[in-house]
Amino acid sequence: MHASLGGPLALALLVGACGCFAEREAAPPIVLSEANARSYQVACATCHARRGIGAPVTGVEADWRERREQGIDALLVHTVDGYRGMPPLGSCGLCTEDDFRALIRYMAGLP
Amino acid sequence: MNRRSITRREVLRAALATGASLSLLGSLARAQAQPPAWLDGGPLPWRNWSGFQHCRPARRLGPASEAELAALLRDASGGIRPAGAGHSFSGLVPSDGALVFLDNLAGVVDVDAERLQAEVWAGTRLAQLGPLLDARGQAMPNLPDIDYQTLGGALATSTHGTGALLGSLSSCVVGLTLATPGGELLECDATHNAEVFHAARSSLGALGVVTRFRLQNAPPFKLVEKTAWRDLDELLANLASLRGDNRCFEFYAFPHSQVALEITTNETDVEPYTLGSDDPDGLQLLQTLFALTRRLPGIGTKLYDALLRRSGTTEHADGSYRVLTHPRTTRFNEMEYTVPAEAGPDCLRELLRTIRERELDVCFPIECRYVREDDVWLSMFYRRPGFSISVHQFAELDFAPYFEAVEPVFWKYEGRPHWGKLHGLDAQRLEALYPRFRDFLDVRRALDPRGRLVNAHLHTLLGV
Repeated sequence: MHASLGGPLALALLVGACGCFAEREAAPPIVLSEANARSYQVACATCHARRGIGAPVTGVEADWRERREQGIDALLVHTVDGYRGMPPLGSCGLCTEDDFRALIRYMAGLP
Repeated sequence: MNRRSITRREVLRAALATGASLSLLGSLARAQAQPPAWLDGGPLPWRNWSGFQHCRPARRLGPASEAELAALLRDASGGIRPAGAGHSFSGLVPSDGALVFLDNLAGVVDVDAERLQAEVWAGTRLAQLGPLLDARGQAMPNLPDIDYQTLGGALATSTHGTGALLGSLSSCVVGLTLATPGGELLECDATHNAEVFHAARSSLGALGVVTRFRLQNAPPFKLVEKTAWRDLDELLANLASLRGDNRCFEFYAFPHSQVALEITTNETDVEPYTLGSDDPDGLQLLQTLFALTRRLPGIGTKLYDALLRRSGTTEHADGSYRVLTHPRTTRFNEMEYTVPAEAGPDCLRELLRTIRERELDVCFPIECRYVREDDVWLSMFYRRPGFSISVHQFAELDFAPYFEAVEPVFWKYEGRPHWGKLHGLDAQRLEALYPRFRDFLDVRRALDPRGRLVNAHLHTLLGV
């Protein structure tokens, strides 16, 4: 049923392995579950994998440095309630609070 | 690809009867202006893309198969609504019962290469669909401006792009499977369960949950989109040639301005390229520019127009699905009505005059598009070529004063409201606008006699 979307999901999305946060001390790779990897591709990546549209790009240190300083809880509230260009729930209506925390950590490079 | 800014077309996209129905729209705006507080650790609320629509569903369901979905519909107690991606501005989704998300029913089911048709799961986001079809040697003939929606949500609301010879997305559906409120899986096309098919191509999610659509596609093709600044009156005088000479043509009119942004899109064989860059803050810049120039009596309007014209243009060539859709990171609320194609310019002029005479403090560009007529029962384009006019307001601002002021202009020109966008009409007035409205209600009643998919908004829309 999900064969059409399975290819990119099977890549297992390892931010830590891509070297994108190389400016910081090496952190263990952040691995998304299969379900969250699918949510990332379907919802988050629409904006957060696209440069030049104003959204912080996954794995780009300069985009996330100040946002990380706000802490995961602040980022979670912005995600659930919506904030500036960020739509409420990040367009992922099925995501739980735990899912959002995992996805934020993945994109922002938070341990 | 970099496509927004006040120095480009998006910038400027940005740099940009009264009575019971209006009262309804206004009271909705006031009642929903304060979303419920979200308590850490509690059940998450649901909100739409703009943040205006919201609810606290008792359950959020993500069936992994059609059979599971059918069983959920059959066994659900209380209200149940399909949610799509949450991009509709209208109240189609909110329910305190269960919300159904089809994110687990996404992707291409199969393709018919000879007929250039593809069967696609309804939960597929439009942003994913373009590449999926391209890899299989197909492309949708047209797409809307935004690609965040699920296919199911876009089709349920008769979502459309622009092009005088191009129909809405719903007009490309040649077959579908409907999970009914009774728990059946009903396969429909123009000859099999035809009444349900005609109703379900644009269903408002009121007939059950469509699980998959068979789409009539085209071979993959490339497009080039070009923007140009025009004098609004000159553009309106040339509408016949602009809509006839271009595959896709649309324009943005600017409140309190005499300039317009023309956007033409045509097939091409050139390699992908982009000229001009976009500014993701373009609409905010437009807002600032408008506020500053409004305070300059005598020269403000001329200065505003001059600055708009100097804000640049863009060209972009690529595969069709990459050119037709655009990222939108400034959130807004929107009202859209489709008037008969020939009445479009007069309606737009009266709308702009209303904004000017009432001194409405709005600057968000007004989008104008042509769409071919179709035979989808609840389509805004049913048996009538359309000129769709979309008015927007920034999500953080109260849209009610603006939308209430201009909505009667749309009514005067027999405008049909977009189902996914804000409007103040009820069943009585909608029936007068949509010739097959009664037929749709009959199909709905047969499929959902207990009204389990009817939420408050549908209660108003359908009179049930």
